[in-house]
Amino acid sequence: MTTLWPRLEPLLPRVSKPARYIGCEDGMQRPTAGPHLTSWLLAYPDTYEIGLPNQGLQILYELLNERPDASAERTYAPWIDLEAEMRAAGLPLFSVDTHRAAGDFDIIAFNLSAELVYTNVLNCIDLAGLEVRAARRNDDDPLIGAGGHCAYNPEPLADFVDFFVIGDGEEVVSEITEAVGAWKRTGKRPGTRSTILRDLAGIEGVYVPAMYDVAYDGPALAAVTPKYPDVPALVAKRTVADLAEWPYPRRQLVPVTEVVHDRLSVEVFRGCTRGCRFCQAGMITRPVRERPAAQVREMVTSGLERSGYDEVSLMSLSTADYSGIAELVRDTVTGGNITAGASNTAGADANRISVSLPSMRVDAFTVDVAAQVSRARRTGLTFAPEAGSWRLRQIINKLITEEDLYGAVRSAYSQGWHRMKLYFLTGLPSEMDPDTEAIAHLAAACTQIGQEYTKRASVTVSLGGFVPKPHTPFQWFGQNPPEELARKVRLVRSALGRNRRVQLKWHDPAASTAEGIASRGDRRVGAVIEYVWRKGGTFQEWSERFDLALWEEAMAACGLSLDWYVYRHRGEHEVLPWDHIGAGLHRDFLWHDWQDALAGHGLPDCRWTPCYDCGACTEYGIEHMVASPVAPNGGSQGTGQDLATGHLVPVELRPRQLAGAGAPSGGGA
Amino acid sequence: MSLRLRVRFSKVGKIRFIGHRDVARVTERAVRKVGLPVAYSQGFSPRMKLSFGLALPTGYESEAEFVELPLVADAVRDGGAAEPGARHAAGPVIVCRGGTHAPCERGLPSTAPSYCTVAGALSEALPVGMEVSAVTLVDGRGPSLQAAVHTCGWQFEIVGLDASAAAKAVADLLAAGTVVTERVHKGETVSSNIRPSVEVLQVVGCSDRGAVLSAELSATPRVVRPSELVPALAPAHEMGIARRTHQWTSGAAGRAEPAVPAMCAQRHKEPISG
Repeated sequence: MTTLWPRLEPLLPRVSKPARYIGCEDGMQRPTAGPHLTSWLLAYPDTYEIGLPNQGLQILYELLNERPDASAERTYAPWIDLEAEMRAAGLPLFSVDTHRAAGDFDIIAFNLSAELVYTNVLNCIDLAGLEVRAARRNDDDPLIGAGGHCAYNPEPLADFVDFFVIGDGEEVVSEITEAVGAWKRTGKRPGTRSTILRDLAGIEGVYVPAMYDVAYDGPALAAVTPKYPDVPALVAKRTVADLAEWPYPRRQLVPVTEVVHDRLSVEVFRGCTRGCRFCQAGMITRPVRERPAAQVREMVTSGLERSGYDEVSLMSLSTADYSGIAELVRDTVTGGNITAGASNTAGADANRISVSLPSMRVDAFTVDVAAQVSRARRTGLTFAPEAGSWRLRQIINKLITEEDLYGAVRSAYSQGWHRMKLYFLTGLPSEMDPDTEAIAHLAAACTQIGQEYTKRASVTVSLGGFVPKPHTPFQWFGQNPPEELARKVRLVRSALGRNRRVQLKWHDPAASTAEGIASRGDRRVGAVIEYVWRKGGTFQEWSERFDLALWEEAMAACGLSLDWYVYRHRGEHEVLPWDHIGAGLHRDFLWHDWQDALAGHGLPDCRWTPCYDCGACTEYGIEHMVASPVAPNGGSQGTGQDLATGHLVPVELRPRQLAGAGAPSGGGA
Repeated sequence: MSLRLRVRFSKVGKIRFIGHRDVARVTERAVRKVGLPVAYSQGFSPRMKLSFGLALPTGYESEAEFVELPLVADAVRDGGAAEPGARHAAGPVIVCRGGTHAPCERGLPSTAPSYCTVAGALSEALPVGMEVSAVTLVDGRGPSLQAAVHTCGWQFEIVGLDASAAAKAVADLLAAGTVVTERVHKGETVSSNIRPSVEVLQVVGCSDRGAVLSAELSATPRVVRPSELVPALAPAHEMGIARRTHQWTSGAAGRAEPAVPAMCAQRHKEPISG
């Protein structure tokens, strides 16, 4: 196991951002290798600065290195300039920790956070010197694994990945380590790769695509069935019941170069039951598991002391819902004085700790929380109303009223913020032009409020095109084509008129289409991903590298239809490509929630109201772990507000005729 | 009186690939980890008031980087020898490491070369390859480091060039009246005569990659880099690793360095790293 550093070093002066490839982070480990250790290479298939902060990868990095029988290192996708140098020099993919060759590891495990990285996964496998198709790899080649939210529909990558982990990884990586370790000790003899794959398929939460037959009925999927009796017909997700048992990462990696989230991150809870119907994360990570407040405080204090950071992000899918959030923020901000040991350095606030709260619900961003956050450096504020009108917010079950939004915005402006970001989705089910235009009206009203406090008041409106995701109530919905998404952007723009206080940004509608192919694709989409990769289509998350024409060309070359995979509504009884993957949610719950959506019926948060049996708890014998019996900051939801008043506008989903022919969803035209 | 800590540090090995802004971020975090009572700017977004010397090109090594840390007004405690690691209400007091030095006046590193608690603690808090070799206390007034430095000392490799060929190239360059080189500045190719900037240039030996040269190049009006010399010396060869060895300022008794490593000087005697 030799280091590739002497061969890499001469290439680095020729590439952009060479610090991406040196490791050297505070918290980096230098594991040894050996026959007694199952070695993991944890791979993030995007650039270092995007991948380094990923908490899931860091948690597994620590857990595996704590085991006496495992070691873990990390790798990230090399940018195109280094890739060209590596290919010219015959240098394979390497770990950033000890700069060992990827092919030396027993397992290369990819984190799948977004669909558009799939071509990078293939590129990394290829750069490791391996065949991209699993069936063509040798017995003693590294096993290719994958996990993360996108693994909940593993089929598009099924031909390339040996095993997928569904759900929380904390426990299952140990079981995989033991199985692979046993195989390694037998020498990975010829002909035994199928044996280890079958062993892995027997581990709860592990899906091995090669163990399943797929049958089609024309363009439709007929069935995905196990080849052997000991292989499960349904691979159910793993869930850790109590976050308190997993206080990781203990030593968060502190990079020596700039990354996207360059701050301490502490996960305050996992899961979310607000029930937003578009949100895959909120569906697949149930139930809510709060980290005990004392443990959060300990992780914040020790993390800041160790890292030297002066900013901490309290992470979750909706941090304002954490029990006792206002007290936690207050203590975190002022706790900086104790940590830094100086109260009167320069200005009373110099050593305060900045708190950033991702995913703030507007009905919970109170003056109190705003005031606490603003005591240190003001971090960026993003609110996500998601839809412009109350009618549409009821459809998507994002049950915040205009008054909630205005209250949050007022809290922020009154506490000294000048600008904030509002995030919306377009192309939602049943969205009509007045719903879209309402985005502009909301934004304008927010700047009106801001002007009561500051002359500089402004908001940035960010529009994302909605891509339906597996295991959500909207998994049956036909996605808007790019022309329709582009039309909706223009609609917002013209509704904004000459309002200079509102800046409009939008996600490329063409990229949403490519994302849609992979999001709900079946195993046949693998050929499309391989085609795009072979044509050089890497880093598709990067707008300067993205090219929809390449995806369209690939779909045509593979004989697949965009309309079938992306734009078409699905029926109740259609076999979906991820039906053999269990997220804990009853399929009839999802279908009924979809029907409730179309009827404009809201669904309350089951954390604070009676259980409606979605399946996430009852199927697993686990429960919510929350410290507060009510929503911590009040707000509209969970406070007895009448939720069943949304059906004032009749909603109907009409089947789409042809791709590109008119509106994709009911009433859109 | 406002006082500054002047810190000299190295940048060798893998860490040479981080940029100037990265160095600033890493240093800021190290200062917070150590808990030095450093002054912050005022206003809505208080920032630590660090001031760095001349920027080092990304990829270059150095044993002579400098940063100045302005201290808050009450960071300096008058009178008596402080105990190592002692803290007072305003935060940690800067003290000499016990044993090897007599305690400095006021328990602070004096302007004399010393290797103090601060140096050790900062080295500990910085990434591998960045080590603090000297810490001195200077008056808050006076010119900025960036303005004061007039010459930099360098050591650099020319890959695949043997020592005798290098010696001839050096002699030719020094004998020439003008040495015109081209570089890209703000997207435009600029040619300039760098001969007046070359104060010293000599071959000092060989590494396993090629000839090792040392040079003293002027830093005003702009910093001339060794990489600009290589095309003039050996057009067919690439530069290997380059290392800044000195930054010179004018002092009362001739030229001087902003801070001179003392006890830890031995740490940097290893040849240009691989």
